[in-house]
Amino acid sequence: MKNKYLLSVFCLLLGLSTLHAQSTVTGTVIDETGLPLPGVNIRSALQSTTGVISDADGSYSIDLEDPANDTLIFSFIGYQTLRQAVQARTTIDVQMDVQQQLLDDVVVVGYGVQRKSDLTGAISSVKEEELQRVSSGNVEQILQGRVAGVQVTPSSGEPGRGAVIRIRGTGTLNDASPLFVVDGMLLNDIDFLNPNDIESIEVLKDASATAIYGSRGANGVIIVTTKKGRDQRPTFQLNAYYGAQEVVRQIDLTNASEFAQLANEVAINTGLETPFDDPNSFGEGTDWQDQIFQTAPIQNYQLSSNGGNEFVRYNIAANYFAQEGIIRGSDFNRLTIRLNNEYLLSENVTVGHNIAYTRNNRENPAGVLTQAYRAEPVIPVFNDDGSFADATVRIPVGNPEASIFYRNSFSDGTRLVGNAYINVDFLKNFTFRSSFGIDNERFESKTFVPQFEVSPTSLQRNEESNLNVNNTTNESWLWENTISYQNEWNIHRINLLGGVTAQEFTNEGLGGSRRNFLGETEEFFYLSAGEAETQTNFNGGFEWTLLSYLFRANYTLMDRYLLTVSMRADGSSKFGENNRWGYFPSVGLGWNLSQEAFMQSQNLISRLKLRGSWGVIGNEKIGAYAGKPTVTSNINAVFGNPSSLATGASIVDPANPNIQWEETEQYNFGVEIGFLENRLTAELDYYNRTTNDILVAVPIPDYVGVDANPVVNAASVENKGIDMTLNWRDDIGDFSYSVGFVGSTVNNEVLSLGTGQAEIFGGGLGVGGLLGTRTVVGQPIGAFYGYRTNGIFQNEQELEQFPTRGVEVPGDLRFVDTNNDGVITSDDRTMIGNPIPDFTYGFNVSMNYKGFDLALEFNGQQGNEIINAKKMARFGTYNFETTFLDRWTGEGTSNTEPRVTNGGHNYEPSERFIEDGSFTRLRTVQLGYTLPQSLMDRVGISRFRVYVIGNNLVTWTDYSGYTPEITSGSVISVGIDSGVFPIAKTFTAGIDVTF
Amino acid sequence: MIRITSYKSIVAALLTVFLVTACSEEFLEKKPLGQLSSETFFTTPEHAVLGTNAVYNLLRDWSVHVFSYIGTTDIISDDSDKGSTPNDANFLLEVDNFTFDAGNTAFSGVWSGYYRGIYRANLAIQEIPNIEMDETMKARLIGENKFLRAYFYLSLVRWFGDIPLILEPLNPDQYEQARDPKEEVFAAIEQDLLDAIDALPETYPPADIGRATKGAAQGLLARAYLTTGNFTGVRDMAEAVINSGRYDLYPNYTQLFQPIGENSVESVFEVQAEAFEVGGGGSQYNEVQGVRGIPNLGWGFNRPSDDLVATYETGDPRRDATIFYPGEILPDGSDIISDNPNIVGERYNQKAWVPDHPGGNGNGPGNIRLIRYADVLLMAAEAHNELGNPQQALEYLNQVRARARGTRTSVLPDITETNQNALRDIIWHERRVELAMEQQRWFDIVRQGRAAELMQAVGKPFVEGKHEVLPIPQTEIDLSGGMLTQNPGYN
Repeated sequence: MKNKYLLSVFCLLLGLSTLHAQSTVTGTVIDETGLPLPGVNIRSALQSTTGVISDADGSYSIDLEDPANDTLIFSFIGYQTLRQAVQARTTIDVQMDVQQQLLDDVVVVGYGVQRKSDLTGAISSVKEEELQRVSSGNVEQILQGRVAGVQVTPSSGEPGRGAVIRIRGTGTLNDASPLFVVDGMLLNDIDFLNPNDIESIEVLKDASATAIYGSRGANGVIIVTTKKGRDQRPTFQLNAYYGAQEVVRQIDLTNASEFAQLANEVAINTGLETPFDDPNSFGEGTDWQDQIFQTAPIQNYQLSSNGGNEFVRYNIAANYFAQEGIIRGSDFNRLTIRLNNEYLLSENVTVGHNIAYTRNNRENPAGVLTQAYRAEPVIPVFNDDGSFADATVRIPVGNPEASIFYRNSFSDGTRLVGNAYINVDFLKNFTFRSSFGIDNERFESKTFVPQFEVSPTSLQRNEESNLNVNNTTNESWLWENTISYQNEWNIHRINLLGGVTAQEFTNEGLGGSRRNFLGETEEFFYLSAGEAETQTNFNGGFEWTLLSYLFRANYTLMDRYLLTVSMRADGSSKFGENNRWGYFPSVGLGWNLSQEAFMQSQNLISRLKLRGSWGVIGNEKIGAYAGKPTVTSNINAVFGNPSSLATGASIVDPANPNIQWEETEQYNFGVEIGFLENRLTAELDYYNRTTNDILVAVPIPDYVGVDANPVVNAASVENKGIDMTLNWRDDIGDFSYSVGFVGSTVNNEVLSLGTGQAEIFGGGLGVGGLLGTRTVVGQPIGAFYGYRTNGIFQNEQELEQFPTRGVEVPGDLRFVDTNNDGVITSDDRTMIGNPIPDFTYGFNVSMNYKGFDLALEFNGQQGNEIINAKKMARFGTYNFETTFLDRWTGEGTSNTEPRVTNGGHNYEPSERFIEDGSFTRLRTVQLGYTLPQSLMDRVGISRFRVYVIGNNLVTWTDYSGYTPEITSGSVISVGIDSGVFPIAKTFTAGIDVTF
Repeated sequence: MIRITSYKSIVAALLTVFLVTACSEEFLEKKPLGQLSSETFFTTPEHAVLGTNAVYNLLRDWSVHVFSYIGTTDIISDDSDKGSTPNDANFLLEVDNFTFDAGNTAFSGVWSGYYRGIYRANLAIQEIPNIEMDETMKARLIGENKFLRAYFYLSLVRWFGDIPLILEPLNPDQYEQARDPKEEVFAAIEQDLLDAIDALPETYPPADIGRATKGAAQGLLARAYLTTGNFTGVRDMAEAVINSGRYDLYPNYTQLFQPIGENSVESVFEVQAEAFEVGGGGSQYNEVQGVRGIPNLGWGFNRPSDDLVATYETGDPRRDATIFYPGEILPDGSDIISDNPNIVGERYNQKAWVPDHPGGNGNGPGNIRLIRYADVLLMAAEAHNELGNPQQALEYLNQVRARARGTRTSVLPDITETNQNALRDIIWHERRVELAMEQQRWFDIVRQGRAAELMQAVGKPFVEGKHEVLPIPQTEIDLSGGMLTQNPGYN
């Protein structure tokens, strides 16, 4: 009975109409090289429910009711859809061509690919050519301003450094960076990647897309696909560029006589003798910023080859990238070799590998930026005799030039990232895939400090030469086994995926040091050249493992109704036995309205899709032993006569054995719309992410007496907002152009900090480490916290008239009595700024006319503030920003800038140090010219393009620092500028040649 | 061409799933690498010693006995000024000039350092009793921890007044603490030291010199009683030390503070520090007070004040033993102190001087003398005077003066005053000059009730009723969830 019922449903689904066929058409489908093409969907234009799939030999057979008038539609992922009028033929053989814009229609998703039209999740793609518009060795930085919902902030302008990426806001108080997946390998960073090797980048934003990554998907997933071999005759590509970088802007600091004037006033204001007799005699003095900045070269060379046949496909590339820093002594270079091969062992078995090897060398800069900011301009760089001038006379800052001169610190790293895989097709619709990936990284850093003294009396000196050597290895392996089932019949399309994956990560550090070296040149930078009695060493490590089960089903009905369901279970060694497993489900629904009959009668809207999704995803980015308290050793005492070290150990870092996963619940509603044959496309997504059980290393009072803050599952944070993408593209004769806009809003709000936890302070400021951020319920994470200001006390009378803290004198800031209790106390501090922008955006225009191409890109953010913390840290009379010149010097002289001092009342965290962080930047101007084909054919070159690029040419901002992009690895300390390595503006010229 | 059949691949796939699953629990069990786990710590006698040593470790720490400590003991007092170049370390200038507020890092520095010591001692005192080990050794180690805990609390309560009294490691639900009355803190200190006196030995074998002794605990308890005005207690404890027969005055006052004077017969308790070639062992106590620039590479903080210079009796040799001037030859004869034009009125704390040492200037080898026999004698003298026994007071007082006098018979005559008030002033003055620049002065003038009078006399804007206690660090109030209150006048 039951079987019969099932059978009838099955028949219904298959479509009973096929029983009444009038004619059968057969044929073979071949690809562009003449090989049979299996899996092609062939359907009738008249009978919407009739469809077949070509078999392993590329052959098919389809029954048609009206062969005279019908048309066959051949479609296959990655190929141009082909229409053939049947005209009563019984045999139709076709050859299909590869779709030129492959990535427009197929999107890489977790553990597979999917038609864009079948997606229920929010996924954005970045294509190869967009990655070439910024001259940088770092892929993360290149993503800036390209994807709605993705905020990219360079972590530093130092060569070879990455960026901080936030997808849809800051969803945790911990590491909120996304997961990276490169050709299936799960990684925490992509610093090793060479941008030239990348074919596409997909950003997975909502739960329907990310939940398949379970405990690692909560902060979004960035999938990078590198270039693969193509079945074509061998081609070679040469890409090269060379350029120069310089600092975008310098900070306005006082010159020598201005400095001396202010320094004298500080002395008077603090009751000390004035250090300078005649400030005016110093003139301009030394501009230390000029001293440390340079115009620095940047260069990149890539040679690659791509090709293949029916058995092997390959992509081989070698790349050399070199960049000097705009601050002297920060050179970086990187060599990358990539081997992406695939071997077709039989018609159902493919094996392959994607392997990248990189080697990089870096100079670790000397931290002279802070010195240059602080050093007194009254001190020359060199004395008259050519020796370094002593910049430690009144306040120990150090001569930046000497710091660069005596600096010998290098890091060398090698990294091998790749995977080998086997794909086996079986039982017609099944594929088994096993992939084994590795990420082996080793780096060594060496810092050698010679014996030196800047001058006989200078505190900038080192008594004994010393060398520190530090080796780190990070090894990770990931084994993934999946089985997928794919079928398409009539109006149904189904895709199932199930799998098991296991990953292990191991870190080990080994290092040592010695003093008193035999020599001070590079050949002596080995520990053996130092004094054996002075040696120290250390060796430590950590490891974690992750075991996962995953499942996903995609179902598409009539190309219109879409359903995605996924589930992942993750077990992690980082958590105690009771909380080891986490389960992460998601559901996505989609409706392609433009496929509906009622949409066919109009021409305005060419695409319309509605999507919605819900899911729960996790974040497990915490220390490997956060749930296991460990003992800190080597906290030693000294005893005895003669004295010796007495080993000490104790539990000084508390751990919480009950910690568990952070879970993010995310809703997403999206609409995709295309007008005028998709000349205008728009994508709009509303999202709401709530993260619960956020692991917080809660700053606790010092009286608890432990050395580190404990981690607890405490907080909840909500991020909601809108991501939008708009594109217009059109051709007018030979002129084609496109205009694009991406924008996203984030509203970040803390919902809860856990029981009994009213606030989390963060962001150490100034000399005393005053806490400048306070995270409380109802406000954004890491909101700035301090006093509001309301002018300056002009005279003694005002001191009586307005509430005070009791320490103020005329010329000091007037803080606002926010609680109206008549005095200023610490209770009057309040939220004085938000480090999270309300709106981030990117805007781009590109044009092609005959051989010329022009691209302009802008990006920016709006509505965030910055604490100019470098101004607050005055251990003594350092150099001043020129804003100090507007100081109060007597009644009526200033109502914004207080009298000049080095600390105390006016350096409490207050609005005085808050600046607007909004900016718009002209990110890219690119002009290229492709030489005419007719000319190139004669010399056997298929494409020759020359171009020039300018990056970061103009930034419109009110912020006074080097750059308004101030970030931090710690989400409760974002937007605090303590002196960041400035970004550069870059001019490069390059060529792309294919032959 | 290879053919892989469907069966084979299914079997392979299932086998994979099975294998991975079968060993999952083992696969997910990872032990910390290269570290003891807390689950197994404090289980052996060795662990008891390690955990105790970790408390002593903090006595050399930056936040316990170095920069902030010098600032909140000497620089804040009338004994010394900030020193160094005028603008260096602005926060200490604020301390010197009483322009500080609750955000000043000197206060959060000592607060955090001393409470870290208290935590480590609390943990040891909680865990060691459960370890199976020799009972005498167990009692001794617990006694050492109680001594150290009392030492940390005695400093904190004298700086800040009412403070959270925490005697066990806190659980997360106990992190929000209120202040306990200082009387309760003193009671806890007394109890800890009485326990320590019972448990600690009078001496240690050479390898353990530097651990707390019975005499150290008695000396510290005398100091605690002195603060609360329990002069009977001061007398009993000080005389317990005196009558133990283990201590005496070191004959040469100048050399007492040099390397040769370390762990001398006068030493009741001192922090051991040694600049080893490797492994640390030093403290920066010497460095921050050392002669600035060449040749001592010190930072030059803690400048003996004009007021201190003027307070010595004519010819008192202790003045030259306490203060370095430019042009003076260093005690090891290595160099002459050069005149630094950027320092006004250049002077240094000679008692913190150490000769050259390996491994850079951070590795200071000098022991920090925390309780000297001379201090104990003067405490006994003060107690006897307060208890109406001036003759016995004079006996102890004159021992100290006699040692200071040495062979110079014309200076520092014996005191014969027996009027209680007059003798009190004399003893207080003697404490000042004998213990100058040894971080005792601030606590003395506060307990004597003279802080406002004396600090105002040297021109400081000292506010009576406010500045006798330091402000509770603002970050602590913030982090306590509003449980901690501020001292009066510091909002």
